[in-house]
Amino acid sequence: MEPIIQIRDIHKYFSHNVHALRGVSLTVEKGEVVVVIGPSGSGKSTLLRCINRLEEYDRGTIVVDGIPLDTAANINAVRAEVGMVFQQFNLFAHLTALQNVMLAQRVVRKRPPADARRVAMDLLAKVGIPEKADSYPAQISGGQQQRVAIARALAMNPKIMLFDEPTSALDPEMIKEVLDVMLALAQEGMTMVVVSHEMGFARAAARRAIFMDEGSIVEESTPEKLFSTPSHERTKLFLSKVLQ
Amino acid sequence: MKPKVPVPLAPPERELMRIPGAEPSSRIDSWWGLVLGIIALTILLVVFSPDPYRRIVLFVRDGIAITLTLTVVSFFLVLFVGLLGGLGRISKNKAIRGVTTLYVELVRGIPLLVQLLYWYYAFPSIVHSVGKALDVPALENYRANAVAMAVLGMTFCYGAYMTEIYRAGIQSIPKGQLEAARSLGMSYVQAMRHVILPQAVRVILPPVGNEFISLLKDSSLASVVAVTELTRRGREFMAATYMPIETWTMVGLLYLIMTLFSSRLVAWSERRMQFER
Repeated sequence: MEPIIQIRDIHKYFSHNVHALRGVSLTVEKGEVVVVIGPSGSGKSTLLRCINRLEEYDRGTIVVDGIPLDTAANINAVRAEVGMVFQQFNLFAHLTALQNVMLAQRVVRKRPPADARRVAMDLLAKVGIPEKADSYPAQISGGQQQRVAIARALAMNPKIMLFDEPTSALDPEMIKEVLDVMLALAQEGMTMVVVSHEMGFARAAARRAIFMDEGSIVEESTPEKLFSTPSHERTKLFLSKVLQ
Repeated sequence: MKPKVPVPLAPPERELMRIPGAEPSSRIDSWWGLVLGIIALTILLVVFSPDPYRRIVLFVRDGIAITLTLTVVSFFLVLFVGLLGGLGRISKNKAIRGVTTLYVELVRGIPLLVQLLYWYYAFPSIVHSVGKALDVPALENYRANAVAMAVLGMTFCYGAYMTEIYRAGIQSIPKGQLEAARSLGMSYVQAMRHVILPQAVRVILPPVGNEFISLLKDSSLASVVAVTELTRRGREFMAATYMPIETWTMVGLLYLIMTLFSSRLVAWSERRMQFER
């Protein structure tokens, strides 16, 4: 297996006194699904956002698919290879679902409209909502919006997908439809880093689960072991609160 | 740029989702009645009392054309200056941000009338002095064109107000929109052009429309710097005939027709550009 994301000793400060990431190192291999859990403020989202440089970091290095995140050109190159799905979906509010999936293909990949449209329709079918192609984000449910957001990221043919609490803003009955899409993606061999507390998804899809607290990785193992027999006190404490 | 997919502006289901009370009951709202009323009043005066009202309208006719030209040309320049200024105000570059902030703060603190006087009287003198000092005859013989200076002055002043409108509009778009665009590999410029600005334009449309109407009214200030626009022509007519009541009633009505009509157009385009959030 070859590593596709190499994070080495990343430090991140918010303002001057908040040390959000305290020397995090993590290597993700091609085709691997890694789930990151941890209490709010533990730095898990920040870490994820560092991988495509939505968040700047103060020390350390990140290399994605052989490209170091240093120059602006490299950062844009990495972003085109790394899809991201947000907690709040962030669909472009002025565009239809179809146009949302087409835009970056046209602007960044310079695909002709007919090709971009075909790719977009295929992906909307893949996430199960081809009939919503001409709906605006505000007209469809949260679960549907999140699936369009996944299709939008996939349209760039990313090598890696980052998920930042993709189901946390969803009503309970919509969580499954999003997780099903993510599960299918994992089974196709997509490299995924997922910040989520969905234990079922982690067990079914992930080979590795990571527990973060106070800006560091406290513990990592298989999801099964991490959730049932955690070795650190802090992990136990956190899981007892989440699972009760 | 647009996909060739048939994407109707208001598909049927969108109509259903409109907030009750906010839906346009008809294409034309009831305030058009006021516009028509003012136009009718003006026509009645002209038809039933041609002396002096018809004479006034004929006399100030070319002034109306200049007022409209001045306003429309300045407005398009202001839209451009405002866009640049708005992007400058939110720039990460401290120097650019500093310069645009300074521009806004200084220009907003000086009355437009003083600015227009400066552009028409002081600016050419400065050019002459520079021309003399550098011995450049072209600059020494520079003569200010009144309309051009008025356009310049109004653009410079209103550009500062428009800068703040653009800035507020861009900042009103949730940060996640920019992050989503950037995460897809779009550059800052691409994200602005395709994601942020199309949404910001809808937000700023009402204040931008108000700026247009203010600009139309403030163009009357150009009358003091030798621009023969509507107000100036009104003064000339009054000086020749001494009929202040009739003259300024008619000039006021003509301004009202233009401003009320503009405000209806703004309201109409606002409705056309609505979209769900």
